[in-house]
Amino acid sequence: MSQPNRIEGGQIDRSKSLKFQWNGRGLTGHPGDTLASALLANGVRLVGRSFKYHRPRGIFTAGSEEPNALITLGDCASREPNTRATTVELFDGLTATSQNHRGPLEWDLMAINDWLAPFLSTGFYYKTFMWPKAFWERLYEPLIRASAGLGSLSGEPDPDIYDHGFLHCDLLVIGAGPAGLMAALTAGRAGLRVIVADEDFRPGGRLNAETHEIAGQSGADWAAATIAELASHASVRLLPRTTVFGTYDHGQYGALERRADAPGKPRHVLWRIHARHSILAAGATERPIAFANNDRPGIMQAGAVRTYANRFGVAPGRRVAVFTNNDDDLRTANDLRAKGVEITGVFDARYGETVVDTSGRLGLRSLTTNAGKTIPADCLAVSGGWSPNVHLTCHQRGKPVWNEAIAAFVPGADLPPGMAVAGAANGTLTLAGALLEGAEKAAEIAANLGKPASPDIPAADDEPSETAPFWHVTEPRARAWVDLQNDVTTKDIRQSHAEGFRSVEHLKRYTTLGMATDQGKTSGVLGLAILAEISGKTIPETGTTIFRPPYTPVPIGAFAGRARGKHFRPTRLTPSHKWAEENGADFVESGAWLRAQWFKRPGEKGWRDSVDREVTMTRSSVGICDVSTLGKIDIQGRDAPEFLNRVYSNAFLKLAVGRVRYGLMLREDGFAYDDGTTARLSDSHFVMTTTTANAGLVFRELEFARQCLWPDLDVHLISTTDAWAQFSVAGPNSRALLSKVVDDLDLSNDGFPFMACAPCTVFGGARARLFRISFSGELAYEVAVPARYGDAMIRALMEAGEAFDVTPYGVEALGVMRIEKGHVTGAEINGQTTGEMLGLGTMVSQKKDAIGTRLSQRPEINTDAMRLVGLRPLNRSENLTAGAHFLRPEDPEDMAHDQGWMTSVAWSPELGHSIGLGFLKHGAERMGEHLRAFSPARGQDVLVEVCSPHHIDPEGVRQRG
Amino acid sequence: MAELTLMASPVLGGFDLKIGTNRLRERDDLAIVSVATPLGGDAALAAALQSAFLLDMPTPKMEARSDAMHAIRTAPDQLFLVFPHTASDAEPLVQSALAGAGYTTDQTDAWVVLEVSGPDTLTALERICPLDLHPDAFPDGASGRTLMEHLSVIILRLGPERFLLMSASSSAASFAHAVETSYRNVI
Repeated sequence: MSQPNRIEGGQIDRSKSLKFQWNGRGLTGHPGDTLASALLANGVRLVGRSFKYHRPRGIFTAGSEEPNALITLGDCASREPNTRATTVELFDGLTATSQNHRGPLEWDLMAINDWLAPFLSTGFYYKTFMWPKAFWERLYEPLIRASAGLGSLSGEPDPDIYDHGFLHCDLLVIGAGPAGLMAALTAGRAGLRVIVADEDFRPGGRLNAETHEIAGQSGADWAAATIAELASHASVRLLPRTTVFGTYDHGQYGALERRADAPGKPRHVLWRIHARHSILAAGATERPIAFANNDRPGIMQAGAVRTYANRFGVAPGRRVAVFTNNDDDLRTANDLRAKGVEITGVFDARYGETVVDTSGRLGLRSLTTNAGKTIPADCLAVSGGWSPNVHLTCHQRGKPVWNEAIAAFVPGADLPPGMAVAGAANGTLTLAGALLEGAEKAAEIAANLGKPASPDIPAADDEPSETAPFWHVTEPRARAWVDLQNDVTTKDIRQSHAEGFRSVEHLKRYTTLGMATDQGKTSGVLGLAILAEISGKTIPETGTTIFRPPYTPVPIGAFAGRARGKHFRPTRLTPSHKWAEENGADFVESGAWLRAQWFKRPGEKGWRDSVDREVTMTRSSVGICDVSTLGKIDIQGRDAPEFLNRVYSNAFLKLAVGRVRYGLMLREDGFAYDDGTTARLSDSHFVMTTTTANAGLVFRELEFARQCLWPDLDVHLISTTDAWAQFSVAGPNSRALLSKVVDDLDLSNDGFPFMACAPCTVFGGARARLFRISFSGELAYEVAVPARYGDAMIRALMEAGEAFDVTPYGVEALGVMRIEKGHVTGAEINGQTTGEMLGLGTMVSQKKDAIGTRLSQRPEINTDAMRLVGLRPLNRSENLTAGAHFLRPEDPEDMAHDQGWMTSVAWSPELGHSIGLGFLKHGAERMGEHLRAFSPARGQDVLVEVCSPHHIDPEGVRQRG
Repeated sequence: MAELTLMASPVLGGFDLKIGTNRLRERDDLAIVSVATPLGGDAALAAALQSAFLLDMPTPKMEARSDAMHAIRTAPDQLFLVFPHTASDAEPLVQSALAGAGYTTDQTDAWVVLEVSGPDTLTALERICPLDLHPDAFPDGASGRTLMEHLSVIILRLGPERFLLMSASSSAASFAHAVETSYRNVI
């Protein structure tokens, strides 16, 4: 018969069977089971190996606090390691495997670590892997890496999909046990917008696990009825399978919803919940008691034993013993006896009865009491009292306080704003108390929100819950486990204290107590209680470590959400993108933009072929480049000229309507910030262009200046970057081409000179703007049309340019031409350079005050008279390298003799050799000097000659022609 | 070059998608003109809006509507007029109607406008919209500026299950993908 440990009762659907695989073995369970309950039903006690000593481990809890039963869920690419078997809802076809063993689970080769335990005491690796130094990287690190961790990822891309979302409510109820359900019911009936989040797939908390009665019905039935009523309230949203894992500023909570697997739909949704109020009703976690060999499969929390028996209809063992320090002992024994399970002994530490040792290699067989008796048992139910789940109250640095009556930490007074705590999470560990507190806290919040509630509290009893602080059995001195997940024993805590790691935070780092997936949920209080005992302090004096989000593990995939692959971030496309795709463009990322870097033509073997051709054709006839990515800012207002005069370092007050001016912007500290052109369209209307990279930054700075520095100016900004498709038309035939494009505008040098601008129409009436500006050094224009015409415009321009053998050119050719011409871009305006350095010193007007002017006059800002210069190789066949540093030929290769550095290089088709721009100390006075351009990173050492940065047409004849 | 004329092409090529019984479509029939309030000119602009378009001044949270024209407040001293108009002369039309009471800029081509509607719309928007769209918090006519999948968005509620979403036109494809994914993830 299958499922030998299945017993009567439970909230499972016995009419259906679910098949699943455990370590390749076919087993069955029922809807309503967790993987843990189904494994126990099938008599599987050994489910994994411990982290350090590879000790056999079994299922220890029935919830998210599970430290032992970490398994790998699924196979192939989607497998998920370190999953707690106690939280996995069983489904048909589930596959799971055990982790952290070499060889079969029953015969783990690494179990030798357990024999070596005397050499592997706490902190051993800090002391062991010290020498010889040569072993650090080659031997020790690979060794430690191989041993660390538990399960492993598939190494393949995760095929599952994840999503994010945003929710809002008046009241977020965290946990749907008795306190949470009562709070939600009270608030829901009062008409509040309520979200009830519970990590379980079956809400109800301990009501599903105990045999309590509420209003004459079983706790589980009352929970189900309450859920049904909540579901009927339009203003209440139930989120089962959802863990609220963190509290954040401004009433924000992080929550992970695990959704039933549906093909093509997100497996997890990470919610950001904005709640005006919250009630933390997260319950409490049962603590173990430390005694010798207390980690064998079969030794479980008493509460978990009751959960398996009452909720899942599973006997965790057939002969069960109970060991507690509180009133849960009789409850556990009675619940199991009622299900026909034999109780072999009940030991209550309050009466001096303790368990001192256990035996059984792969699972518990018997235990020894302090009276010297050996008791047969295949399951030992242990309870060391309950610790309220205060974690979420601490995420904003709240500190829990010690409550002697229940020997546990309860939430302190400094809760996150808007949060209240009810039920076991608040230290109210009994049923009637939890129901009352949930109702009262919700009624108080409802009243605050102007929606009075009249809680209807159902009849229930307060069960006995007396607890005595009893933490560990001190004899014999065999290892007694405190933290099962990290293999930390009472001895380790003693050793940590003896070696000086006495603060609870040091204890955690030195021993790893409370780390990893369970974050010390079962072990934390026990560990610090033992530390307190050793150090002679009280528990509150010892204090807790700081709880931080997340409360339980959140998969990285859930944090990433949809942000993967090409959807990692948005992509911006230029208006001519589709046309460029059709015409052989190769694209490059430029911020979020995709820009054409060159257009490959048949027969071209590499990018240089394309770029050289584009440069040559542009300089000899005409080329077209989409420059829509440049930032465009529409500036209007009576005080717009004054505003521009204050943000640009050069003069702008007298810029005439119909003219464009090149402008330099400085930061407050006097360094160059951005450059661009600004065109004056009317007395009160300007259009500024910025570099592509700085469009957002410049807009933000201008808004800051407008709103905060000079609110008395009438000036208004709005981005029009995306509104216009703008094309540079450059080359000696650009005027001839545009005369076929532009309607009714005199394009002669007199009618439309260099740096002119005008609104116009193109191609028989389409609205446009024309600017005569040049970045290439050629006779050039930029023509802009509304973006909706961008695709049509590039096609029409190319057609109109056929007679001139027009070429499109990409950003590489654009870069080559600007280096030939000696224009600066981001490689030169890199945040560390001044107007003087850039050769734009005359643009920092001393006749007015603008942002950065004063601090640009600091003497220390321009030490060494660093200047932009041009460079060319003495041996013209050699190529230059950006990033190379300049040295005098006779000087040694060190930074003390550094003369400057190369910022940009290109191969100039016009000059027929490599050229560069760079910053050189006293550069203005060193024309013709020979230097080394030295790049140890690239193994290059080239003799160069210093020259003007204007490699071509230094007089500017072409662009003004 | 009389033979060459420019034809407008919508940035998403006239995107119109049915997902279940929901509809996501590009509204390329709408013009958008921003109007900035001159310093000290609030009253004059309010009067001009009223006389030119029978529009009240929109508030930061609620649009003003007159026939098919929406006025959406986008900044302390700025509003958007959104109205059916397909030619590229929306800005001069608004400017002349306001007679200098506001600084106008054509924003039509800077934005992609998606109209989303249908029974799954609120559930889908939960996945990308950080704003609370509950009818009590965001009723018919409510507007807001927010971020969706890193993109700046203006959202306007047209009905219980109908919204206009406006985002930058250069990233229109990414935006449409994000909105479409939100529907597909919940249906």
